[in-house]
Amino acid sequence: MIQWSGGKLLHIHIAPSASYEMEELQHAELIAGRGIVGDRYFNGTGTYSPKPDIREVTLFDIDVLDALERNDPPLQSAPIKLTPAEHRRNLTVRGVPLNHLVGKRFKVGEVILKGGRLNFPCKYLEELLGMPLYLPLYNRSGLNCSIEVGGIIKPGDMIEPLD
Amino acid sequence: MTARIIMKLVVTDIVQDTPSVKIFTLKHPARPELPAQSAGAHVDVRLPDGKIRQYSLCGNPEDNSVYKIAVRKEDNGRGGSRWLHDNVELGSILHVTAPRNNFPLDAKAKRNVFVAGGIGITPFVSLVLASRKLGIPFELNYCVRSVADAPALRIFQEICTPQELRIWTSQGEICNKFNVSDIGPSIEGTHIYCCGPNALVDAVRNTAQDWPEEQVHFEVFAATLDENFKPEPFDIKIASTGKVIRVAANQSALEALHDNGFNIASSCSLGVCGSCECGYSDGVVIHRDSVLGVSARQDKMMPCVSRARVAVTLNL
Repeated sequence: MIQWSGGKLLHIHIAPSASYEMEELQHAELIAGRGIVGDRYFNGTGTYSPKPDIREVTLFDIDVLDALERNDPPLQSAPIKLTPAEHRRNLTVRGVPLNHLVGKRFKVGEVILKGGRLNFPCKYLEELLGMPLYLPLYNRSGLNCSIEVGGIIKPGDMIEPLD
Repeated sequence: MTARIIMKLVVTDIVQDTPSVKIFTLKHPARPELPAQSAGAHVDVRLPDGKIRQYSLCGNPEDNSVYKIAVRKEDNGRGGSRWLHDNVELGSILHVTAPRNNFPLDAKAKRNVFVAGGIGITPFVSLVLASRKLGIPFELNYCVRSVADAPALRIFQEICTPQELRIWTSQGEICNKFNVSDIGPSIEGTHIYCCGPNALVDAVRNTAQDWPEEQVHFEVFAATLDENFKPEPFDIKIASTGKVIRVAANQSALEALHDNGFNIASSCSLGVCGSCECGYSDGVVIHRDSVLGVSARQDKMMPCVSRARVAVTLNL
């Protein structure tokens, strides 16, 4: 079991439908087995909603945004400035080893999530934002999770391992 | 294929420009800057019933704090303009995409001939401003029924000199119709830009048929009328997998692709917006769109309206 502590939820974003601009929330209601109230994957209006997959809530590491801005590793011709509102995952976090949490349960505030699979970068995001993001997001495009225990979360909530 | 961000923008100003035209000013509720707009660009407006309408941006292309769209109320139209006129008020939220430009200005032109008809005048606000900034001389031929019906006329009287702005009327006491044949033969470095009703676009297209393709530009927001066209079924082969999809006579290629799980962006479904562009090879395509030029049609098609004889391979 990987040891970690001190993870933190920084931002919550949802979009009502595919392609809609993400909207930042100061608190969000997560429903077990469904998603974030108001989000496209809760509403069934997301790009990949018709495909069976775990996508109730998605997490993204803010350190990746810093790395893109440093062009580290140098996979594109210039640094990329990507904001938490633009990467299109729901929860932007710090200090959480997302790539190690596939199949693991962890707490975000009062909510319990389970890592489903690592998120793949997609050409759709490149087209939507007009940025060459596909390659730089390889292996660090976030974690798709299911919601085991729902509740209310807010930025600043601590994130802790359970498994 | 280009997907575009959809934003919820606030209506901050409404001007009743003519008896049938309103100009709406839109701002982002949280950000001072909207995605950049270039001269000639348009946005899609998503209506509550899911329909999508395209409107040219008619503000200053260098001012990205707002978008402006002019909407003529079409009582016998498809309902979009009626909804916007009857329901949108100050503070209303409109669902609007980032701009797309199928009508960009060629910065290398030596002279521009702008031809607009009715509400087709709207992209010329930004084109006139950009042309002036680039130092490209221009004339704007503005064809309207009457001066009282001329959308955005006050704007053009401010940003054009009397020599640049030529108003042509087809009704009223002074009837002074634009003679399309005055465009004449092609002149090196001169570009024509035309937006308006199909009849005007067709007339300019016919007059300029001997002009080099790259010097003649059209912006069309209505489907090409072709009552004699009889759709036939055909096959789409997917280049990456070899899968074959049958397109029935009563469905579009885009519908067949969507039915088979291809998440292709689309918007107008009229062949005028350019959203669903697909590359193709190995096939005879029947192009029915109003976006792609002759050279682009060699390897690109718009599956919302265009079809193929027997079969086509799409680069998907």
